[in-house]
Amino acid sequence: MSWLTPHIATQIVDFGSAMLLVTCFAIVAQRRLSACVDLFALQSLFLAMTAALVAFFTDTRHIYIAAALTVVVKVVVIPRLLKGVIERLNVTRELVMKVNVPASLLICGALVMIAFFITEPIMPFGHLLTRDSLAIALAIVLIGFFTMISRQKAVTQLIAFLMMENGLFLGATAATYGMPLIVELGVFFDVLVAALIAGIYTNRLQDAFDSVDTTRLNELKA
Amino acid sequence: MAILFFLMVASYAAGLLLPLCCPARPKIQNLVAHGSAAFGSLGGIGLGIVGLFGPDPLTMSVPSALPLLTFAVRLDALSSFFLLTISLIGLAASIYAVGYVTAWYGHISIALLGSLYNGFLLTMTLVTLADDGFFFLIAWELMSLVSYFLVVTEHEKADVRHAGLFYLIMTHVGTAFIILTFLLLFEGSGSFSFDAFRHPEQPLPDGIRTTVFVLALVGFGTKAGVVPLHVWLPYAHPAAPSHISALMSGVMIKTAIYALLRVYFDFFGGQFPWWWGFVVLVVGAVSALLGVMYALMEHDLKSLLAYHSVENIGIILLGIGAGMIFHSYGLDELAVLGVIAGLYHTINHAVFKALLFFGAGSLLYATHTRNMEEYGGLLRRMPWTGACFLIGAVSIAALPPTNGFVSEWLVFQSLFMSYQIPSLAMKLMLPIAAAMLALTGVLAMTCFAKAFGISFLALPRTSHAKHAQEVPWTMRIAMGVLSAVCLALGLAPMLAVPIIDRVAASMIGSSIADKMLALDGWALAPVNVEFSSLSTPALGLVLAATAALGLGLVACCGGTFPRRYSKTWACGLNLTSRMEYSAAGFVQPIKRVFSTIYQPTVKLETEFLEESRYFAKRRRFEFHIAPVFQTYFYDPVIAFMSGLADRMRIVQGGSLHLYLAYMFVTLVVLLLAAL
Repeated sequence: MSWLTPHIATQIVDFGSAMLLVTCFAIVAQRRLSACVDLFALQSLFLAMTAALVAFFTDTRHIYIAAALTVVVKVVVIPRLLKGVIERLNVTRELVMKVNVPASLLICGALVMIAFFITEPIMPFGHLLTRDSLAIALAIVLIGFFTMISRQKAVTQLIAFLMMENGLFLGATAATYGMPLIVELGVFFDVLVAALIAGIYTNRLQDAFDSVDTTRLNELKA
Repeated sequence: MAILFFLMVASYAAGLLLPLCCPARPKIQNLVAHGSAAFGSLGGIGLGIVGLFGPDPLTMSVPSALPLLTFAVRLDALSSFFLLTISLIGLAASIYAVGYVTAWYGHISIALLGSLYNGFLLTMTLVTLADDGFFFLIAWELMSLVSYFLVVTEHEKADVRHAGLFYLIMTHVGTAFIILTFLLLFEGSGSFSFDAFRHPEQPLPDGIRTTVFVLALVGFGTKAGVVPLHVWLPYAHPAAPSHISALMSGVMIKTAIYALLRVYFDFFGGQFPWWWGFVVLVVGAVSALLGVMYALMEHDLKSLLAYHSVENIGIILLGIGAGMIFHSYGLDELAVLGVIAGLYHTINHAVFKALLFFGAGSLLYATHTRNMEEYGGLLRRMPWTGACFLIGAVSIAALPPTNGFVSEWLVFQSLFMSYQIPSLAMKLMLPIAAAMLALTGVLAMTCFAKAFGISFLALPRTSHAKHAQEVPWTMRIAMGVLSAVCLALGLAPMLAVPIIDRVAASMIGSSIADKMLALDGWALAPVNVEFSSLSTPALGLVLAATAALGLGLVACCGGTFPRRYSKTWACGLNLTSRMEYSAAGFVQPIKRVFSTIYQPTVKLETEFLEESRYFAKRRRFEFHIAPVFQTYFYDPVIAFMSGLADRMRIVQGGSLHLYLAYMFVTLVVLLLAAL
């Protein structure tokens, strides 16, 4: 494979990371919850692909396992779980938003710029072929965080949380070619449990308030 | 030695875990928990004795994964002494608890209570053994937390929860000061190990040393309960189960004395100006006097005992403060005398206070009330408890031939020795402290005349008292053992003093055991035999002979009169319990004499007969004493803090999105700031 110079490998990894970022924007722009879940599954698939590419280029075995786990947990199990929650609760759309979609997209654009601005001084020190992905990973984390703040339904917030987690995973892969396998396994387990707990919590929210709107949680304050 | 240590820790650990694993049979849980605790205490007693007589201290250390933290243990003479005290009371409390907790079968979880009890003993032990600042703080904080959970054992009662919260806040305020103390010491030494505190790389500047002195006094003083930081004791001690109160009042507050000695004499090597000792002396004198005065006005037996802990901590600090003053003037032999007096009173107070709390617990067990006004006539119904309580009361009132008398005598002697100090001011101040101690002693005697007389003598005032029965034998054994220890320490101080002398000598470096024993070891003298001396065996013999003489006279001459049993004559009326002195009535004279301090409010309501204003149908009398410290010291602080908290509430919007936004903004700002 003589055509596969490090430069080209970097380009391919960057492309995969960029696709993750694009799906982020798609999630921010999407009001339908089931579509959000699908987009999240797609993003996770891109993540798994990027990770597999990194594994292939650097010949690091354990990233393959992490990529496979990503497919199982984040592309299959969690989306199915979330769809179940959405179906049972009968919430299909994010109706009221704190920040509307165009404004959200603009803010997310600004966040991406901030992420690149922040990582700019440390990029030249990196010598890995994944180094450019770090900025994208940070951007995804920030966008996920922002989505958690700006959306009101618990399900959307959960998706945003998982999005952040994807960003962190990408960041770990980008910065150090992935964490030790045992840590990754722990993280996958954590994410799965977090998703389960948030699913149950959403159900309880529905029971208590007849709604999954988390802004109503301040009614709990005396 | 190491084996004893592991035996002790393993027993406590077993007591911590096993009750939670055993089947839900309270009886088994009770025996497992308190049995392990008793074994652990026996190990602790053995370890303490070995440590006191051993040539060099036992040290062990296990490094940890956390930076700056080492699980280092060191058993020197000072640690051994406190370990011995804790374990002795722990053993008695474990025996007592076997009977005492039976009252709660089916109401509260015996497994949890027993498990926490073991944890409490273990953490107290570790506090005295820790040889690393970080480890000490962990053990200290665990001790505070475990004791909080024990205080709120009966958490379904609102006043117990309130008491627990109060205790938790006070103890955390104290811990904050202690953490500052250790951080300042850490600044100078660069390490948290006690050895580094002892020999810092460069000596601490004077300002820092003074700050450490004040911080340690406030921090540990909160736990010890010195005035004005004593307010939690009368809440927390009555709320806890009685065997826990005995441990808290008898030994937990002594860990603070241990820590103060450790900081002042060990870390600073006794290098301090005279006024440090003077401050400790003043704090001690004020605590002793105010503690006993407030105790007099209490009618809740356990609160009364809690206030007496304030008093006795004050007496201990009087001895230690005198020792510190002597030490700063280079009078090392007298310094040792003062510290011996303080330490002897430490173990004595532990023994008799635990005994009295056991007695109070027995009364609570038998009558289900702590209010003295509802007792009466209990001596006939509970003779064993009564006899043991009497011995405890005699000890705490510092009467011969019990231990309280000996240690208070030693404190007096060390205060009188002030004539050897070159400074005129101190020459005058120490006798004033002695006068305050004398007043304290008198008031303590009045207080226990009241406590014993109102509770045990005359007729029962309520049906609770009327139907009281003697407590189970385990409780009686525990009280009996402690009563015997009270008498032994009172009659044979000549055996105890040389041991305590080793402890004091290890801190100050001058041993006076030889000079303190006079008459071939049959009498005790404060360094200087010409000044004064005391032979407790002779005193005991005289007391016994006087009693024997009286009994003999009665037997010889009184035998001719026929014995008649009849009712006490009450001017033709039938005797009722309403004719008795009440606890409130008993202390009225004291209340009047010291009305400037108590600032009492008296309320008397009278309901007259409709026919005539000359006949009262019903009278209602109430008196309250002003909670001076609460009003002038705590309320302003509490008001300020809650005002601050109210303003902080704006930040707590209750909205999930707001909280997320806080985090988000913090994250972005920090990321940008990092550039």
